[in-house]
Amino acid sequence: MEEKKVNSFLDKLKQKAQNQTNYGGEFEISEAKMNAKDCPNCGAGRAKQDGLTNCAYCGFEFINVKLTDGVYIKKEDNSL
Amino acid sequence: MFGLFHKQKDEEALPEWYSELQEAQERWFSFLEKLETKMEEFATAAIPELKEILQGDDDFYKRTFHRIYSGVNGQLNNIREKARDTYEEKINNLYYNLNAQISVLSKHHHLLSDFRGACSDRYNQFENQYNYWRKQIDKTQERDLEIEYQKILDNYETTKNKFSCTQCGGAIAIKKIFLIETYISCPYCQTQNTFAPSSLARNLQNIAKELAEQRTAHLLAEFEREKDKERQLYHQRHELSLSIIHESDKRILNEVQTKMKDLEEQRQFAIQNAPKLRQIYLRALYDEWNKITPDLKEHNEKMYQNQLNY
Repeated sequence: MEEKKVNSFLDKLKQKAQNQTNYGGEFEISEAKMNAKDCPNCGAGRAKQDGLTNCAYCGFEFINVKLTDGVYIKKEDNSL
Repeated sequence: MFGLFHKQKDEEALPEWYSELQEAQERWFSFLEKLETKMEEFATAAIPELKEILQGDDDFYKRTFHRIYSGVNGQLNNIREKARDTYEEKINNLYYNLNAQISVLSKHHHLLSDFRGACSDRYNQFENQYNYWRKQIDKTQERDLEIEYQKILDNYETTKNKFSCTQCGGAIAIKKIFLIETYISCPYCQTQNTFAPSSLARNLQNIAKELAEQRTAHLLAEFEREKDKERQLYHQRHELSLSIIHESDKRILNEVQTKMKDLEEQRQFAIQNAPKLRQIYLRALYDEWNKITPDLKEHNEKMYQNQLNY
């Protein structure tokens, strides 16, 4: 009797846990990929020495904040 | 004379509240016994289930497992709370109630304190049992992270030379495992490419600490052994000091006292040594962690400095 009660509780728990949807939706597994963003204004690519925030040719603003030192992005990545 | 002897005779008989105590104690003991069997039955049924679910859970973060895991823990906690509430209600209340009526000078007061001692000892025993099962359930979430780490490394090795610049088509080698999106400039045309790492690689920072902990578990165990020594040695020495209270033989006294002195020295050494072992453990842990995710080193070192202060 006792044994049965324990198992039915566990089964119910399992059922509930499996049916519950994850907060934030299903997880999508993605592969690594490479991409590049060209200037939508004049079509020029962004070169390393020109920085990330503005287009070197037409001045289009890609990022409107000032970059600070992070793990991968550094202060030097700001366009002049 | 003064009726003193009369009074004493009266007190020799057990007071009427004693039966109440006995009954409460008996019921408390059998209640805890029932809870313990319930707990054991539940845990022994849940542990293999949990292990199986962890194995079969194909969610990236094992979220299904964790939901069941916390359900199981919640159930175990319910049992514990039941014991605590009952202890408050049936044992403590009765004790305080009677304690207010019976003088400490009464000959029978010891019955009351014995009752309380016995019940709380039994309660501690139950708590130990709870902790034991809790630990066993905790253990079910352990999995060999080396396998997952190896998967990430293999995945990195096979993909690192597969990328090329979207602007000029030149090959771009991925120099390390990136944890988040990053800009990588093409070595030929200098164009900034955005590289998005795979889900697998991103997950590295989630498992890094646990993996480092797995690798340094033996150092943690060593520290904990040393930390526990202080109490053990103290109790050993205390036992010895009690054993010579009525001792008059000088030779034996001397012998025991040198033993006690030796134990005290060992204890002092353990007190000094434990923090050192902790530091060794922490340093090794963070070194491992930094080896796994070198990019987070700066941040991790801050955490290490913080942890040293606790």
